[in-house]
This record gives sequence, structure tokens and C-alpha cells, in this order.
Amino acid sequence: MFQPRSIAIFFRVLVTVLALTATGLIVLFFLFLVKESLPVFQAEGVGFLTGRDWWAGESYGAWPMIFGSAIVTLLALGLALPFALAGAVVASEFLSSRLRWWAKSLMELFAGVPGIVYGLLGVGVLAPAVKEFFGLIDGNTLFTAALLLGIMVLPTLLTLADDALHAVPGKFRDQAQSLGLSRLRTVWAVVLPQAKAGLLGAVFLGLGRAMGETIAVMLVIGGRDRMPAPWYNLFQPGQSIPSKLGREAAEAVGAGLQWNALMGLGLMLFLMVLGMTVAGHLFLKRGRAA
Amino acid sequence: MKISGFFLAALLCHAASTQAAPAAENRLLVMGSTTVLPVASLAAEEFTRRSGREVSITINPGGSGVGVNSAATGRASIGMISREISSDEHKRFAEARLKTHVIGHDRVACVVSSEIYQAGVQSLSREEIRAIYQGTITNWKEVGGPDREIVVVDKERHRGTRHAFMRYVFGDPTARAPGARLVTGSNNEEQAKIAASDAAVGMLSTAWISDEVAGVGIREGQAVLVSNDASQIAYPIVRPLSLVTAGEPAGLAREFIEFMLAPAGQALVENFGYYPVAAADRVR
Repeated sequence: MFQPRSIAIFFRVLVTVLALTATGLIVLFFLFLVKESLPVFQAEGVGFLTGRDWWAGESYGAWPMIFGSAIVTLLALGLALPFALAGAVVASEFLSSRLRWWAKSLMELFAGVPGIVYGLLGVGVLAPAVKEFFGLIDGNTLFTAALLLGIMVLPTLLTLADDALHAVPGKFRDQAQSLGLSRLRTVWAVVLPQAKAGLLGAVFLGLGRAMGETIAVMLVIGGRDRMPAPWYNLFQPGQSIPSKLGREAAEAVGAGLQWNALMGLGLMLFLMVLGMTVAGHLFLKRGRAA
Repeated sequence: MKISGFFLAALLCHAASTQAAPAAENRLLVMGSTTVLPVASLAAEEFTRRSGREVSITINPGGSGVGVNSAATGRASIGMISREISSDEHKRFAEARLKTHVIGHDRVACVVSSEIYQAGVQSLSREEIRAIYQGTITNWKEVGGPDREIVVVDKERHRGTRHAFMRYVFGDPTARAPGARLVTGSNNEEQAKIAASDAAVGMLSTAWISDEVAGVGIREGQAVLVSNDASQIAYPIVRPLSLVTAGEPAGLAREFIEFMLAPAGQALVENFGYYPVAAADRVR
């Protein structure tokens, strides 16, 4: 028979190996992206990042795609976050546990709906609606993509934010209310600050899904590899990194510089997600120290 | 229903890719042009029914560029293309010794939203189309239509339809189109976007013209050439539809290509609205 001690050692080794494998895979993936995209940086230099013109075979300027990804993701979060937070507060603090269960099940169901389904709704319903409502000549725009993404990440954000709020121990609420705070005031002054770390985690998971979403964005963003003019006019078509990869990757496999340039886009996406996650952790640390 | 074609295509592709798979020599993967895809799908059904054995043929979309690429790199046994292989691709994939099997021909139409056609834009000259795609004509009233901005729909650079269209309009199959507002991929996507708009112009295989997407005539001198009038042999935008293999095809791939060239396969090509190989003299 195994001694409890040897079982503990076995599991410790197992967990360490698994954790190293997971980290190692991410590092390997990163190195692969760097290696595959190196030729485009040699050919275009910094111009790859700042260039505004992309025409396979002639020039590879990634700025419109980097801009498109960043602006669409941020706008999507900005649109979804207020609704997600309000919904989570209601679900966690005001609903009966039965109703909360139903609400959460529904949200988790929505969170699991594949992107293509949202994409078809985007083409069939959202794009024409945006066109009509804002009086545009066409409804396939950066704004439409952001709106669709906002709708897509809302369930994820809501259910994770609800988890974060619900994880705050009940005694905080009891004490706040015994001090005479109203329920709403309790949420605002006690529960939300306590749940900050979890809420931020929810935001980053939502961000991850939004930034990587390909097919739904591809169908409504317009697919034009140029900056909108002026740059803040989001009612014009644009392009995001995943959408560009989705449209061009299958044709470019083994195609030399075009493939390297697409890998370079992948690397940028990787770094953007990494950068935002690191920024989030720093933000959180400072919040704790203060 | 404007997007029903889109749904149907998505479902068909899904259905085609989820069948249980027989032995490897009885499996065939065909990828590429969404212009060739519908006839290849019909042919695959018919071929499977007649073959009298367990075969599984999977037909995936992607566009002509993907067709060339997947045949050359071995991702698929057969690539579908609705244009010639470009010199660039021949150079890039020289080792694959790509072989083209023409299975028919097709005319590419310049299409507009039905609202524009009904409002009076029923033909355009090559110069007008060029100016629209260059962005120097931006309003339909400049070509006899209503006072409405033009939604210029372009296609991904590697697409067969785009090569044929741009070769005619700009004299260069990979010409840039600075006037474009939207860039689409498959025939279904382009058709859906033009149908959803009331001011769009685009390029489509003649077989995709519908109630909501109208083909405009091409004005050449005094003549107005219409893509879906088979009697006008002078219609200027034509391209071959082909299957591509790396080297000589063998086994199931060869059988399938032979079937597409046999009378039964050619009948499918003609019924769908394309020109069979024997009718090559009816297209310029």
C-alpha cells in the first residue's frame, strides 16, 4: 500500500509537471510566433506596425488591424460593462437563490453560443438596424462589430461578475446593514470594493473572448484594411486582427512574406492581450496596497 | 429571406464535413472556389450514388487562392478554382507541378442592389465601373441613378471572381480598388451584403444573380452586353472553372474528375447555369 506521504509527493510532482507543461506550451507558442514573423520585421522594420497600407505581395502595414482590434474590443467592453455590472448586482444581491440560478443558467447558456450564430444575427439583424438607426449608407462598420461583441461578452461578464460579488462573505453585508446602511448602499460601499479582484478577472476574461473573436466580427466589420477617416469615425468599415487572419490565412500558408506578416499580426494580438493582463494585475496590486 | 442562402451554405458545408468516414482510399477532400463548390457538391452526391461503394467526398469553401494552396500543399486532393493559376502561384508552388482540369466556363456579372437597377441604372460602361472602384465616382446620380452614395463591394484579393472582373475593368487581375467600402469573401457573402443594401455595386458569378441582386449590362460602344443572355457570345468577362491537382490525379480523385467531365457531370455544370466544356465557343 502507498503511504499517504508518498501519495502527496506523487501528486506534487504531477501538478508541477502539468503546470510546467501548460506554461511551456504558451512560451513555445510565443517563440513560434516570433520566429515565424521575424522575416516581416526584417523586411518592413517598424513600418510593419505603423504602416497603414496592406496589399499582399506589395506592402504589409498592420496599423489599421491593430487599431481596429483595440478600438472594437475597448468599445465592446465599454458598452457591455455597465449592463453586466448592474445585472450582476441584481442577480447576486437582490434575486432569490432560485431566480439567481435560473438567471445564471441562462447567461451561461448564452455565453456558450458559438460565434457564427452571433455573426449571422449580426448580418441579418444588427447591421441593417445600425444602418437604419444612424442613417448610414451601410451597416457593416467598426461600431457594429463593437456592438455585436458587446452583446457576445455580456453573458460572460455578467455571470463572472456575479460569482465575484457572491464570493464576498455574508458577514460584510450583515455588519454594514447593522450599521444602518441600505442594501443598495451596502453593495456600493462594501460588496463592490471587496469584489474588485474578481470583477477585474471577469473583465479580463471578457476581454480575452472579445479580442480573439473571429467569425462574428469578420461578418459585420466590413473587412477593409484601411484606417477610418477621420480615425475616430467608427461608423466606417475597418478590420480586426482575427478577422484579417480568418480571411487571409488559408490562402497564405507557405506563401513566404504574406504568411510571415499574418504571423506578425498574431504576435501583435498575443502581445496586446498579454499587455492588458499585466496592466490589470499591476492595477490590482496598487489597489490592494492603497 | 436575404440571408437564407448564407445559412444554407453554412449548413451544407457542415453536413458535408460530418459524415462518417470510410477507408482512406475512398475519402476525398475538395477545397476552394465558392463558384465551383455548388456543382462540385452536386457532382459528389451523384458520383457517390453511382459508385456503388462507400465513398466520402468532402467539399469545403475558401476561394480560388485557397484551392490552389490546398492542392499544392497536399491539404486537399483536389482544389477548386474559378480563374487561371497566377504566374506568382506557379512560381511559388513549382514543385507541386499543378495540373488544371477545366470543367466549364462562367461569366462574371457586374451586379447592383435591385433598388438601383429599378431606379434606372441598367447598364454601366467599363470606364464607369473603373471610376466607381477607383473612388472617383461616388454617387449613383453620376451614372444616371438616384442621389445616393455608392456602397462599393470588393472581394478578397485571391478570389477567382475578382481576378476575372479586375482583369476586364483595370486590365490587371490584382488591381487595387481604393473606392471599395466593403471587402467580402464567398459568393454567398457578397450576394448577402449587396442584397442587404439598397445602393451597392459588386461582382458575382452570373449564377448568383437573384431578385435582390441584379446584373447590369456592360456598355461597349453601342452594344449593351448582358451576362445572362447566352446568345450574346461577345460578353467580355468570362473565366474557366477548374479542378486543380498536384501532378496527375490518381485513384478516387481521378475518378471524380473524369465524372465531372463525363456527360452526367457536364449536365450538372450546365443545369447550374455555367457553360459546359463543349460550349467553350459560346463564351469568348
